[in-house]
Amino acid sequence: MKLTRSVFWLLPLAALALPLLVNPYHQYVINLILVYVVVGVGFNIVVGNLGQLAFSNVAFFGIGAYASAIFTTQLGVPWWLTVVPAGAVGAIAGCAASIPALRGVRLFYLAIMTLAFGELMRWSYIRTPSLTGGSMGLTVPPAELFGQVLESEAQKFYVFLVIVVVVVVAVGRLLESRIGRAFLAIKNDERAAAAMAVPTGRYFVLAFASSGFVVGVGGAMYAALVGHLSPEAFDLVQLILHFAIIMVGGLGSLVGSILGAVLITATPELFRDWPGFEELMFGVVIVLVILFLPRGLASLLAKVHPIFRDRYLRED
Amino acid sequence: MALLEVTGASVRFGGLTAVNEVSFQAEPGEVRALIGPNGAGKTTLFKAIAGEEPLSGGAVLFQGAPIHALTPHEISARGVRRTFQNGGLFGDLTALENVLAGLHTRIPSSFGGLLLGTRAAKAAEREGTRKARALLEMMGIPHVADQWARELSGGQRRMVEIVRALATDPPLLLLDEPAVGLSPPARAELLKVIRRLVEEEKIAVLLIEHAIEFVMTVCDTLMVLNDGELIAEGPPEEVRRNREVLEAYLGR
Repeated sequence: MKLTRSVFWLLPLAALALPLLVNPYHQYVINLILVYVVVGVGFNIVVGNLGQLAFSNVAFFGIGAYASAIFTTQLGVPWWLTVVPAGAVGAIAGCAASIPALRGVRLFYLAIMTLAFGELMRWSYIRTPSLTGGSMGLTVPPAELFGQVLESEAQKFYVFLVIVVVVVVAVGRLLESRIGRAFLAIKNDERAAAAMAVPTGRYFVLAFASSGFVVGVGGAMYAALVGHLSPEAFDLVQLILHFAIIMVGGLGSLVGSILGAVLITATPELFRDWPGFEELMFGVVIVLVILFLPRGLASLLAKVHPIFRDRYLRED
Repeated sequence: MALLEVTGASVRFGGLTAVNEVSFQAEPGEVRALIGPNGAGKTTLFKAIAGEEPLSGGAVLFQGAPIHALTPHEISARGVRRTFQNGGLFGDLTALENVLAGLHTRIPSSFGGLLLGTRAAKAAEREGTRKARALLEMMGIPHVADQWARELSGGQRRMVEIVRALATDPPLLLLDEPAVGLSPPARAELLKVIRRLVEEEKIAVLLIEHAIEFVMTVCDTLMVLNDGELIAEGPPEEVRRNREVLEAYLGR
């Protein structure tokens, strides 16, 4: 029997049993991993696929989280109905973040400008206390799904799992289509991409907006998971985390974003009983992976079987 | 009506005139070669036709319509395709995916359709892949299809780049130094491919080239650019005997 990608469905199916096997704290960590899978998948679109050194990701994450929280606290919208709007607000932020790139800003200049965008957002959260609770933070009411409060971590897990599957399938479809090829074409050679009739400007906006949408959804998940948002959660440390996820997993790889999120989120937890050691191990893991697997963990899997390769062309 | 009509095209960078009122026409089924010493303005003229360099004066008409105010991707979508002197291939894609990238505008899968994984979107992608494989097969390089473009040899790269540029059956192909870095057998193969395209498919080819023997055998019309001005145009043997050309280009 030929192995096809349909075997990947076994993963979420197997994951359904997880809440039976772990304690609530570990369940919380697993939920956090799911949040970071979504964040990594979104971040990788702009950095790994479009190939732009854009660090606006934490802005998208925070905007999504605060949007979800504000819709809930100010407008009384139940959490599950804020997920897509949080993504939409993230997508709008993505369009805004693509403006410097559209004007030809690249590399370090783009990095610093998009970094400033993230910091500007953090400043905005502090300066608009009526909406965001300012530096005191914003407490989010418990997440609701169809009128049912998601009390336990296990309940959140099942909802998050559905979101992750939808995001991974949708982004996967985009990336292995002509749209994903256009992103990579721009990453490799913008001039040649335009010579292949790829409207590069439109694809910049599309990549940033898609990235903003996905990461915004991740933000809404984060708000539901932690229950309290504060501006310092969206600082440079958060950005380093996002960056580590896609570097360790594999730039431009969907499978990589997932692996990276698991490894980067779980590593500090494994060493939680040895204070101080967790940061050290976090650093060691990053250095080891980048040293020995410069194309990330995903490159290792791709050698195992072609179904793990990023783009698997439709034929026959 | 000529396929490509360049009239009085000028490109100036500040005080420097890189291309000075160049006019020529290209017809379907002919190879035109553009030669000239380094800095003569060949690449600038090429870029101006492809929309990468704005004209300071004059006009470029393709199939009777002005294209000099369009962006490179719009010009490409109209059927002016080009290859690059170096680089150009997308290294992170396989040879097959490079050709698929060339087919970008011909794969009618929409954003929404792809997201939802509709039958139509999948069929469009599948059809594109089939066509891309067939193109590589037709050009005699089906075996490189699934190799990473960054791992191909120089000759293979050049062929894949030409297949990619030809994927949408463009009426005009611009080749920027196609023979550079190729071995003599690869050059002979390239020559055969270009002549076949022109004679059988009736496309027009405009190429820049330094390898003079290659130019002499491949082209129908030779144009010589010197200091941004077109100093000669005609059948290669005739141009070769032109005194002005000998002085400017061959230094004799």
